Amino acid sequence: MTDEDTAGANAADECEGTAGVSTPGEDEGTTGANAAGEDEGATGANAAGADEDPSFRERLAAAPRPAALWALGAVLVVLPELGALVETLVVLGSQVPAVLATALAGAEWVRDLSLGAFGPAGWAVALALWAFALAVVVEVLRLAVPTRALLRRFAPDVAEGAEHRTLVRYERAVLAVAVAAAVLLAYTPALGLVDGAIGVFVSALSPLRELPTLLSREVIPNQGHRLPGGGWEGTFLGLPPAFAWALRVALIYLYAAVCVWWGLRGYRVYRRHYRVSSWTPTDDTLGALRVHRWGNFGFLVVFLFVTMAVFAPALGPTTVQENIERPYSYSIQYLNEETGGIEEITVGRANGESRSRGLPDTNVGPLTYDDFGRFHPFGTLPNGKDLFTFIVAGARISLVIGLLSAGASAAIAVVVALATAYYKGVLDLAMVVIGDTIMGVPRLLILVLLTVLLGDTWLSEIYSGGVLLALILAGTGWPYLWRTVRGPALQVAEEEWIDAARSFGAAPARIMRKHMAPYIVGYLLVYFSMVLGGVILAVAGLTFLGLGITAPTPEWGRAVNLGQDYVASPSWHISLIPGILITLIVMGFNAVGDAVRDAIDPEAEGGTESGVEGRGGGA
Amino acid sequence: MSRWGYFGRRLLLSVPVLVVGATLTFLMIRFSPTDPAAAIVGNTNTEAGREAYMAVRQDLGLTQPLLQHYVTYMTDLFTLQLGQSWVVSRGTPTVELLRIYGPRTLWLAFWAVLIPIFVGIPVGFYAGLNPNTPVDYLLSSTGIVWRAMPNFWLAVILLTALSQLEFAGVTWGSLGVETTVTGSPDLSNLLNPQNLFGAVKQILPAAVVLGSASMGSEIRIARTAVLETINANYVEVARARGVPERLVLGKHVFRNALVPLVPTITNEAFVLVGGSLIVEVVFNINGVGYLFYQAAVNGDLPLLAALTFVFILIVVFMNLVQDFLYVLIDPRVGYDNQ
Repeated sequence: MTDEDTAGANAADECEGTAGVSTPGEDEGTTGANAAGEDEGATGANAAGADEDPSFRERLAAAPRPAALWALGAVLVVLPELGALVETLVVLGSQVPAVLATALAGAEWVRDLSLGAFGPAGWAVALALWAFALAVVVEVLRLAVPTRALLRRFAPDVAEGAEHRTLVRYERAVLAVAVAAAVLLAYTPALGLVDGAIGVFVSALSPLRELPTLLSREVIPNQGHRLPGGGWEGTFLGLPPAFAWALRVALIYLYAAVCVWWGLRGYRVYRRHYRVSSWTPTDDTLGALRVHRWGNFGFLVVFLFVTMAVFAPALGPTTVQENIERPYSYSIQYLNEETGGIEEITVGRANGESRSRGLPDTNVGPLTYDDFGRFHPFGTLPNGKDLFTFIVAGARISLVIGLLSAGASAAIAVVVALATAYYKGVLDLAMVVIGDTIMGVPRLLILVLLTVLLGDTWLSEIYSGGVLLALILAGTGWPYLWRTVRGPALQVAEEEWIDAARSFGAAPARIMRKHMAPYIVGYLLVYFSMVLGGVILAVAGLTFLGLGITAPTPEWGRAVNLGQDYVASPSWHISLIPGILITLIVMGFNAVGDAVRDAIDPEAEGGTESGVEGRGGGA
Repeated sequence: MSRWGYFGRRLLLSVPVLVVGATLTFLMIRFSPTDPAAAIVGNTNTEAGREAYMAVRQDLGLTQPLLQHYVTYMTDLFTLQLGQSWVVSRGTPTVELLRIYGPRTLWLAFWAVLIPIFVGIPVGFYAGLNPNTPVDYLLSSTGIVWRAMPNFWLAVILLTALSQLEFAGVTWGSLGVETTVTGSPDLSNLLNPQNLFGAVKQILPAAVVLGSASMGSEIRIARTAVLETINANYVEVARARGVPERLVLGKHVFRNALVPLVPTITNEAFVLVGGSLIVEVVFNINGVGYLFYQAAVNGDLPLLAALTFVFILIVVFMNLVQDFLYVLIDPRVGYDNQ
């Protein structure tokens, strides 16, 4: 969690820094507007704009020891999991062709749809929309690439002499050509080139993939079988599977805790040794967060949940592939009590013998073994599959959907809030009408509606329908977020520094980005975590109804659904455990949101209702 | 802008919302990736299937030119000619379906709003009057848990509890009037006390689940509101003048604490409309939410579009009622530059 945070802050700061160099005249405005959303990572980049303070790099060079020590520690922390990290990179990288192909399919779908519905005119409109989307991509890329920093480094005289606007124009042109080339590349057989490049990349990394990973099921295996004379074969040190599994889980959580701790320590090192100012408002915010007890509970729950999602494959006593998706393609060995010999059986058949169906003799409860020497921390599902494996895999899918949709709706909300606050008038009115209409249909109904309408399209096949769900949730969720930041956005648009920037001749996009956005983002942070909780709830609710994530991909709502006939029987665990977990996690995310709000804005008491929070009523 | 000017503006603003909403349902019928006619007919590979398909397309107006279809569609919607169901209950007009299914949902929503008001607000007031005591902590944290619990899960748990538990031979089903735990309430002849009790008892579990999140919110907001007013200067002055504590609480604290609760209650009522879907499906109540779910699952797009429009209509109306209440209660409305 912390890593991502820092990375995000870094990227944002780089843009700030790059832009800050060009017009020193506006820097006062920046720092003022920055107060809410600044630093975390490297305000150093920011300070490069002001002449007096040494840059972050210079400060590093002046006192390298604490940073070096910290970096050494970081390397030590990463090392045990390097193999898994590289593996993740490779898996993500090998998805690129699939993503490209999907994007192409999407383009064709849009073309067919618009041609079929409106004829050439529709196609023209669609093309225009595409062009707009491309322009947005180009602009985002332009903001992400620190051209000016690069120029300053490699061609200082050009950077000094260049007019800001000319430079921007050049950047746009270059990027537009690059994007156009990429699109062309995708349309020609040259897509194969991408495949080839990725192949090279994968094979170059393959030696690293072989590195042992400390926290894997291979190093600490928990799957084995009993021996006729007592004891276990195949498990870690011959321990009973329950202990081997518990050891692995404990180590994983310990490792995750160390990662978080070291990340926080890194921030402390930065703050103590490398930050220019000895105090910033962020310090107070963090201090308030530390002592917020309700918030601490929230952070703990979120930490447990995120770790569960990140380490999902290693946490389960077995794997999704083996136990849930293709149980008949795998087999296990077990000690047959009757014959006293070691026999082999497919996982599918073993599952069939380990069902939890509410009767005392057909039930595998939490923390028990089934007849095949397999340990089930949360018991089994009615079809005999392992509930814990199901839960951790479900946690991962929930988190991915949550991050995707919350991120997308936050992005839309920010853009809309900035544009409407800056331009006001008709644009504001139009967005109010659109937002009110979207909020006018009860959320769950609109979710059901859209999942059904878009259920047959290619979108619904990606990630078991997860991407479609994330898109729908983002498309219907942004008005709620926008409503929460609309007030602050309108407020900041009235500030004097906006007028000042305008009279300096700054472009609207730049004013919004540099002088308004930082103020809004602080508020958005508060609601982001609440939205996450709400999304997890909504996905579970839809899946409970049989509309969300398609079977057999694990999702918590389905577990509740599968177990609803067995709540008052020995198989109570099937519905009860996922339900309690959902409640806990939603509470955790709400608590984090409350804590962040209290820390950022102590004035705002908990009395105001935002409508964003995760709440049972939505699902 | 005056108060009524503010209300007038809100009234005016609800018109485009309705139009945009109706247009969205039109887009749904005309351009949805799922062909409504194909979804209705099912198999279009046989000769008869193809004929039926063409006929349905004709009936839905899909063969008309775009603009003409749009105009007829919108006029129909706004004159409340909501079409008919094609799959769920073929041939039944939507209005007729609403007449059959609607009262059950209204009955459910009525109790789901009422229970939280009569439980949540007193509990919240009590917690606010005794802040930071063990009872306060217990009540507040119960409210937080109650709020975060997913409806579908709570429904499943409550359903089982009611159908399995029994105290001294008395189960939920046999308590008072004989009822089942799931199923629709019988709303005929409510003036008969026996029937009325049965109908209330039948809807109660579902209403408790549906109102659960509202109850949590109302506990929380009532607590904060009391805490805020009880420290206000006018309360202190009243006490100093020797106004009896009973009167201080009743007249100065509670009444003022109710103001922030009004929007909460109306907002909660709004959430209930959506939440009724899951609760009705789990408790097997044939209400509008259940109808919507059936229409969605069976691909009855025309019915789905009409129902969506009805929901938008209800919500817009409820928002207007809320604004109206605001204007009546709070003299500041329209003057603060929101």
